[in-house]
Amino acid sequence: MKVDIKHIAKLSRLKIEDDKLLKFEKDMEAIVNMVEKLPDVEGELKLDTENPMTLREDVAVQNKFSRDELLKNAPEVQAGCLVVPKTVE
Amino acid sequence: MKDYEIVVGLEVHAELNTDSKIYCDCKNAFGLEVNTQVCPICMGMPGTLPTLNKKVVDHAIKMGHALNCNINSVCKQDRKNYFYPDLPKAYQISQAEIPLCENGYIDIMVNGEVKKIGVTRIHIEEDAGKLLHDESFAGSLVDLNRCGVPLIEIVSEPDLRSSAEAKAYLDSIKSILQYIDISDCKMQEGSIRCDVNVSVREKGSTEFGTRCEMKNVNSFSAAVRGIEYEAKRQIEVIEAGGTIVQETRRWDDLKGMSFTMRTKEDAHDYRYFPEPDLLTIVVDEENIKQLKESIPELPNIKIIRYVKELGLSQVEAIQIAEALDKSKLFDESVKINICSPRLICNWILGDISKYMNETGKSILETPLTSSRLCKLLENIEKGVISNAVGKQVFEIIINEGKEPEDIIKEKGLAQNSDVSALEEIVNTVMAENEKSITDYKNGKTNALGYLVGQCMKASKGKGNPGIMKDLVLNYLSK
Amino acid sequence: MKLYEKSAFELTQMLKEKKCSSLEIVEDVSKRILEVEDKVGAFVTLNIDNAKEQAKTIDEKISKNQAVSLLAGIPIGVKDNISTKGINTTCSSKMLENYIPPFNATVVNKLNESEAIIIGKMNMDEFAMGSSTETSFMHLTKNPHDLERVPGGSSGGSAACIASGEAIISLGSDTGGSIRQPAALCGVVGLKPTYGSVSRYGLIAFASSLDQIGPFGKSVKDVALLQTVINGYDKMDATSKNIVYPNLLEGLNENIKGLKIGIPKEYFGEGIEEEVKTSVMNAIKLLEANGAIVKEISLPTTPFAINTYYVIASAEASSNLARFDGVKYGYRAKEYDNLVDMYEKTRSEGFGDEVKRRIMLGTFVLSSGFYDAYYKKAKIVQRKITEEFVEAFKDVDVIASPTVPSTAFKIGENFGDPLKMYYSDVCTVTANIAGIPSISVPCGKDSKGLPIGLQFFGDKFKEQTILNVSYAYEKLSGGFDCMSKII
Repeated sequence: MKVDIKHIAKLSRLKIEDDKLLKFEKDMEAIVNMVEKLPDVEGELKLDTENPMTLREDVAVQNKFSRDELLKNAPEVQAGCLVVPKTVE
Repeated sequence: MKDYEIVVGLEVHAELNTDSKIYCDCKNAFGLEVNTQVCPICMGMPGTLPTLNKKVVDHAIKMGHALNCNINSVCKQDRKNYFYPDLPKAYQISQAEIPLCENGYIDIMVNGEVKKIGVTRIHIEEDAGKLLHDESFAGSLVDLNRCGVPLIEIVSEPDLRSSAEAKAYLDSIKSILQYIDISDCKMQEGSIRCDVNVSVREKGSTEFGTRCEMKNVNSFSAAVRGIEYEAKRQIEVIEAGGTIVQETRRWDDLKGMSFTMRTKEDAHDYRYFPEPDLLTIVVDEENIKQLKESIPELPNIKIIRYVKELGLSQVEAIQIAEALDKSKLFDESVKINICSPRLICNWILGDISKYMNETGKSILETPLTSSRLCKLLENIEKGVISNAVGKQVFEIIINEGKEPEDIIKEKGLAQNSDVSALEEIVNTVMAENEKSITDYKNGKTNALGYLVGQCMKASKGKGNPGIMKDLVLNYLSK
Repeated sequence: MKLYEKSAFELTQMLKEKKCSSLEIVEDVSKRILEVEDKVGAFVTLNIDNAKEQAKTIDEKISKNQAVSLLAGIPIGVKDNISTKGINTTCSSKMLENYIPPFNATVVNKLNESEAIIIGKMNMDEFAMGSSTETSFMHLTKNPHDLERVPGGSSGGSAACIASGEAIISLGSDTGGSIRQPAALCGVVGLKPTYGSVSRYGLIAFASSLDQIGPFGKSVKDVALLQTVINGYDKMDATSKNIVYPNLLEGLNENIKGLKIGIPKEYFGEGIEEEVKTSVMNAIKLLEANGAIVKEISLPTTPFAINTYYVIASAEASSNLARFDGVKYGYRAKEYDNLVDMYEKTRSEGFGDEVKRRIMLGTFVLSSGFYDAYYKKAKIVQRKITEEFVEAFKDVDVIASPTVPSTAFKIGENFGDPLKMYYSDVCTVTANIAGIPSISVPCGKDSKGLPIGLQFFGDKFKEQTILNVSYAYEKLSGGFDCMSKII
């Protein structure tokens, strides 16, 4: 199966360089051909009720981390906010 | 021009008033300094994992009960994947095919008539952060405080047929959310938002027309304006021979217009799949039952009852029903059954509302209990005191917490309703006011007021004004 | 024997008996690192100065006869996708080259409580995607038994450092075989625990429903000890299982009389090298000769395990890695025209090719129109594979197989051929798909002197069973000879 690389790349926010595009397409085609060989198994997917989730009690905890700590790894910060290129509505 | 019908469906997002966020234990609060109410989890730092807040599930189930839904006691969460700077994980944890609640309805009152609006589903999800823009600044700023605030999304069936119905629906949803105390619904803080879906079709048609979704509707009145504009726009397109393009539009309330935001082609492919970091949600049947029992009579039902059974107007009914404290006082007072609901209504919407507006206090915080209110009103209705004196007694009850009958006795406020005694006063006053009598008989109607006033003065304000007026009129007619 | 050649179990005994100090252990390991790290390349980040300070603190406690914890004073390597507060955590990717987490993974907190000493962060395939550590953005890791060959992956550094003596024990992560396969290729012991038994909080996610952190060591005792320290319920991880976790070291029992070992024919097919098959069968025969009962079984859906694995793992990975967008942390492109351009350039420059391939595959299988045919179908096949194991374990106690179809391949041999690389996981992915525990132990060397791995699968939460049979095998075979002979 041929994959629409350009479309999938856009959805994934990736850009494949032109000189790599051909190999990428070939690799993707081979991989998809491998994975699509799934057998037809009977049955529908059901929710696992044997392991229900334990829910968290509604208790707020304050000040575990400072803003500085959390934004330390940010590429660009201004006025306590993260900076990104202008977003258009 | 053909006759068209508007079809409207609404999606309401309400922030829940839990103490902590939906997937982490950060405080769920509004208006704090940017990026100070975040942690690695709601910031989407690598390696972090969500844990679901129990109260969010309980609140959503309560709303489900309030909207007569089936509760799916077994359900899951799903990831909705898309890229945007206010979405740190680049996916929102939400619910896809199996929402917590579905197939419900709400009865609303529009123009005195009751209409049933279907509720397709209610599901739980997390809110995204906020983007801040400034003219002077080249980029945009991201504040993640709101990430992870718990939301319920309430989706209606496309059963609404006018902007008025839409407004009534939105007002009812809002008052229910406040009534069952799961959301503070402060529109200006963004804790309740709605997206509007509008389509049109020829009256009598059973097929739905192509719908457009409108976002950025920031108030219920904006929703009304948006719906009316969009319906008009769509009709114009059809009348001109065009077809409606299915798209998402942005409502601009200042301009009073909607603009294309995304077409179906650019529509997001959200690639929903089950959230692997969370297990199946299984809600205890006993818990579901208890949550149902905790729901009081809801405002939309009260409105219908007040209008149909107690004779209030729709406007009056809405004003009382949608305020938790006013409706509590009203319901308790009506139950005591010693004075008319009409009088109770007038006082709650009159002096009591005035007091609450002026002091910012709820009437339930004062010594004016339903019992005291009813005794006060009973005395007014029986003519023991006048309405004006009643207002004085009201003040004293609020400030000193005494029983109305004690106050009336202490201050000697009981008015004189003895007809013969009052007749004597009237005869005396009228004898001294020949000129006014003549004026009245010559057509000066305000002379009546003067004469009654003089009689009241002579009675030292104690005369029953109703009886006094009747006696004066009777004298004048002789 | 040098201190770095000893097992953690031995060293804890020696420390207790005051036959050596923790500082001596750390210094010995540090010296070894200086000697061989140039050749092996197991580490991304070294933590030697801190380690020496911690060692001194432990030594003081011991000298005062104060009680110390289970792993006190033992140098441990931690795979670089496990968050360590204040220490670079890179996932061997350009995307996180300079990322310093503000919090510890739960397992790291447990290591700290057990007083283990983190000696450094271990090299890996980028974002745990690979079977050779060749996709690391940082540098290659070489197999300590043959420096021209790969150590396996994605936990290549964590496996190599055991064989090279650069750490006594280490932590890796396993999504499709990433602990067991490098353990086999490097001739050490590696365990992938039951899904849900070790907290994933702080593990930078690859495939959320398959990932597990697990231990590497020179011996079964070491792996049992380390697993006991790291396992346990964690309320920060909703997928963590809340049960009682016994002390696996204390529970070790080499008695295998009557133990039923299942041999699944699907794991001994054509693709498995002859020498690997022979070694594995010899090991099983040894166990049989000592009281184990061997049964042939069948796990018929095994041939579809790789397909199922890649669909599910890529789908989850494509979503888990979407957060790397240059906004909150990590790499950001230097030049871009607008927001979308920033996203695309950041992610294209920050991720290597294999990561991009997997993200695209994942996006594709989840995309509109394809979800039912791929993802949904794969989840149903997953259930079938899981059921087959459940059935099998009604009949047998453990299932044995080769860990990897081959021994260590040459650097560059499979790189650039994704499918060939994926095939390396063919014996290991089923354990991740079914969520069951699985261990790899060394069972000899091939004619080139390269280690061969023997794998035991157990039923859910039956770590003790597979540790026991491994322990029995270790003793019966005269012990594991894990250390490299060439460096």
